[in-house]
Amino acid sequence: MTAASETDRLLIHRIREGDSSAWNDLISRYEGRLLAFVESRIGRRAVSEDIVQEAFIGFLNSLPNFDGRRPLESYLFSICAYKLTDHMRREGRRPALPLSAGADSGGEWQLASPARAASSIVRSGERRDLEEKSLVDALQQQVQRWKERGDWCKLKCIELLFVRGWANKDAATELGITEQQVANFKFDFLARIRSIIRKQGLSEDVFPEMYQD
Amino acid sequence: MAPRFTDGELEAYLDEALSPEEMAVVEAELRVDQELARHLAGINARRDAGVHTLGEVWRRHRISCPSREQLGSYLLRALPAEDCDYVAFHVEKIGCRLCLANLDDMKRQRDEVDTTVVTRRTKYFQSSAGYLKRDQ
Repeated sequence: MTAASETDRLLIHRIREGDSSAWNDLISRYEGRLLAFVESRIGRRAVSEDIVQEAFIGFLNSLPNFDGRRPLESYLFSICAYKLTDHMRREGRRPALPLSAGADSGGEWQLASPARAASSIVRSGERRDLEEKSLVDALQQQVQRWKERGDWCKLKCIELLFVRGWANKDAATELGITEQQVANFKFDFLARIRSIIRKQGLSEDVFPEMYQD
Repeated sequence: MAPRFTDGELEAYLDEALSPEEMAVVEAELRVDQELARHLAGINARRDAGVHTLGEVWRRHRISCPSREQLGSYLLRALPAEDCDYVAFHVEKIGCRLCLANLDDMKRQRDEVDTTVVTRRTKYFQSSAGYLKRDQ
């Protein structure tokens, strides 16, 4: 799911040249899934359509900065999620939070964890992108391997642990395996990802959860 | 008492990535639970500082999401049993909003009247085509 498709690349190229039929094609291709995404949360068709409309305009406004190697669908969903969140905040449905980690926060919002204080490892956006790309490559390789081998139980287990954040015990119950098996899957997975991160010479500080336990 | 939401779920909330029902539950709790609000803000601060979590990166890059073609085959029950079982897990248990939106869209395409779709797409086009620029 992470590579941009050839069809999307061509569409973007034509849209950048001002081709209105390409823009129409992009709308036809993506509006249905964006509308389903918004409407599942808002529940009102007319308002949902307005948010999708704002997302399309937002996409065109951001097009000069869009990296064509990124998957278009994910990018459109991210704009839509932003517009949706914004709408829900304005409506008072999404509670406001002190979301900035600014200097006046006094460290109040630091998460209690074995990780270093977040403020001590702030670094360039370029560096962060490089780290993230390395991690994505490693994860893709691993998931592809599981899928090819039919190791669905391992894939489900790791997804429950790291994407949903479930405890080993709960994942074991859900999947009908022992906690020891879950612990083994987790150990093997982390060891492999850590090894790849190390080979790339990346800082361990920015991936704290891989060095816990 | 164990926390009601895992950090992974709270990160997904910040990314607008939990199921709509779960999003509503988190929002309701945030209105009455200041400790939860502080904890969530802490997670946000960590993200702002660039500390990666596997879950965020996994979700953002859709590491395990099936393709739209596979989701279509899933709807038609044309996938092998194990693949089908995984898609159901990914959508129902992990609650992937983006895959769910794709599935809902494909189901609607079977049912929706063509004129409704054309009217909606025309509205989107007419309201946005003015923002098209050459040489972007």
